[in-house]
Amino acid sequence: MITSKKIVLIGHFGVGKTSLIRRFVENTFSEDYKVTIGVHISKKTIEISDNKTSVSLVIWDLEGQDDIKKTRTSYLLGTHGFIYVFDLSRPETFKNLKSELSFLSENYKNIPVKVVGNKVDLVNKAYLTQHTGTFKPLVEFFVSAKTGSRVESLFSKLARELF
Amino acid sequence: MLDNYKKKYHKHNFQYILIDDYGNVIESDDTLFFIKRHCKIQNIHPFFEILENLNIIKNECFEFSCIHIEFKTNTFITDITIYSEKSNENLIVIEDLTKHYNNYQLTAQTRNESIINSQVLELKNEYLLEKEAFKNNFIANFSHQLRNPITASIIFSELLIDSDLSSDQKNYINIIKSANRDLKNRIEDVLDLSKIESGKLILVDKVFSLEELLNELIEAYKHLITKKNLEFNYILDPKLPEYLNGDSYRLKQIVGNLLDNAIKFTKKGSINLSVSLNYERANKANIQIAVSDTGIGIHPENHELIFVRFKKFPSVIENNNGIGLGLSIVRYLVLKMNGNINVESEVNGGSKFTCNISFKLTRYNKSLKNKLVEDLKGNLASKQSILLVENAELIQLSVLKIIANEGGFYLNIITNGNDVVPHIINHNVDLILLSNTIEGFSAMDITTSIRNLSKEYRKTPIVVISSEVFKEDLKRFKQAGANAILPKPFDKKSLLEKIYKYVK
Repeated sequence: MITSKKIVLIGHFGVGKTSLIRRFVENTFSEDYKVTIGVHISKKTIEISDNKTSVSLVIWDLEGQDDIKKTRTSYLLGTHGFIYVFDLSRPETFKNLKSELSFLSENYKNIPVKVVGNKVDLVNKAYLTQHTGTFKPLVEFFVSAKTGSRVESLFSKLARELF
Repeated sequence: MLDNYKKKYHKHNFQYILIDDYGNVIESDDTLFFIKRHCKIQNIHPFFEILENLNIIKNECFEFSCIHIEFKTNTFITDITIYSEKSNENLIVIEDLTKHYNNYQLTAQTRNESIINSQVLELKNEYLLEKEAFKNNFIANFSHQLRNPITASIIFSELLIDSDLSSDQKNYINIIKSANRDLKNRIEDVLDLSKIESGKLILVDKVFSLEELLNELIEAYKHLITKKNLEFNYILDPKLPEYLNGDSYRLKQIVGNLLDNAIKFTKKGSINLSVSLNYERANKANIQIAVSDTGIGIHPENHELIFVRFKKFPSVIENNNGIGLGLSIVRYLVLKMNGNINVESEVNGGSKFTCNISFKLTRYNKSLKNKLVEDLKGNLASKQSILLVENAELIQLSVLKIIANEGGFYLNIITNGNDVVPHIINHNVDLILLSNTIEGFSAMDITTSIRNLSKEYRKTPIVVISSEVFKEDLKRFKQAGANAILPKPFDKKSLLEKIYKYVK
């Protein structure tokens, strides 16, 4: 029997949560921005290469919020892992990174959180260096839903940690 | 009866599903979509996998709003409620609110797009401002870097011209002097541009002699214009007030730039300068400055373009190697002085630039007249000791040569800021020439530490040799206790004026 794990993607609106999921699940990308309302749920089964077992990821794509506290708690019931996504090209989406992550760790203890800077294709190295103070050591992944860069590794790593 | 109406008007947007504790479908009314009996509800849609994680407590209900349920080719946006009724019976109620949520989606789309766009615009704006600031700083710093070599070049060509040279050699030196002057003017133009763009160009309000200013200009340009075999005519209105209150440096720059421009574009004929009084009213004098030439002229469609910075059109490019800043600065300055400027010109028919500017009137005051170096010289009783604090070799050498040629002074040079105070205490110093570009030291800090010494040392006059030319920089030097500022690039005359003014 394949084990199911619920993963919830949260973060501000327009940071690319839906695009990340679409890249991971369907390997597609669209430049068009369509606002997510409520929640979209997708599923993908992946093999964890370390122990040759499969895990089914039930991925909840939540409507973006400018404040994580506004998220409906019912959406977060039974969550096994969080992916907190922000947009590297819009500082507004990561200016409260620390406090948002504190809120998660206080209210959802022992649930792993992967912090992800999306749209890495839009920024350069100098920009990342400039914001090192904000990103380090919280941000584990700089990804691009557009190019697919590190999207697969993000989900695989979280899946391995959940298993 | 009511049941009939309820049947008639009942909205068919609810689906009721009964499942057991393991998620097997017991019953469904299939209003929205068909569900096979006895299948696992989790297989219908991944949303229902949540049931495995909910420790359903009997008589509890869980509500989920705005859940997207894809079923075959249909997508429903629903509110789902899960009721745990009794042992092995759980009710799922799905309410289809697709229409309602789609309307909300449209509103959210507009709102989010507008927020994101404004954030992106703000970022772009910040980026442009940063870029602009970087450019202005770069221009200012770069211009400052050029000041030491230009100063040396100006001073040594002045010193050379006074030495024993053949007439050919004197001609060559005059060419070097003229090139230095052009170079200096262009650097000033570029620096002015950075001041204009950073909003740091501030006009000073000071009494000046209009007569002296115009005579100086006429003397300087007479030579340049006649050297080009052009005729120079100038008319100064006898009604012009002798003294005015305003920014004499900028007025000189306006007239100078207009004359420079006329020289550049005139190959034969004449250049005319006319300065007249338009009117005197409410303690103000409105002055008209007109510069005309018999040069190549400007096509009417380019009359506005000539005032645009860095804008050059073919006839201009052929005739000069300027950078296209002079006239844009002139217009900026005239407008900043609440004046106006216009141009009349025709191709091959010459050009005429006319500016009208108002200045505050002031009463004649004899003490305002600048004393000449020769007058100041007479005051010196004995040989004076000057301390130069500077680590740029070109400037050291330039000052050394001027002072050696002038005679009457001892010069000591210090290159390390730490040595200044001990030197003042241990030697007799009559004047300090303090550079503000000594590596690792701030001229302001050095000035402050000198002013904090005991009475006998702290009064030593300090002239800061500065490449910082923004008004606030000059103000800071003065506040720190400097007596005067000598801006780079400087020439022999301006250095000696400062020296004679401040030595005892």
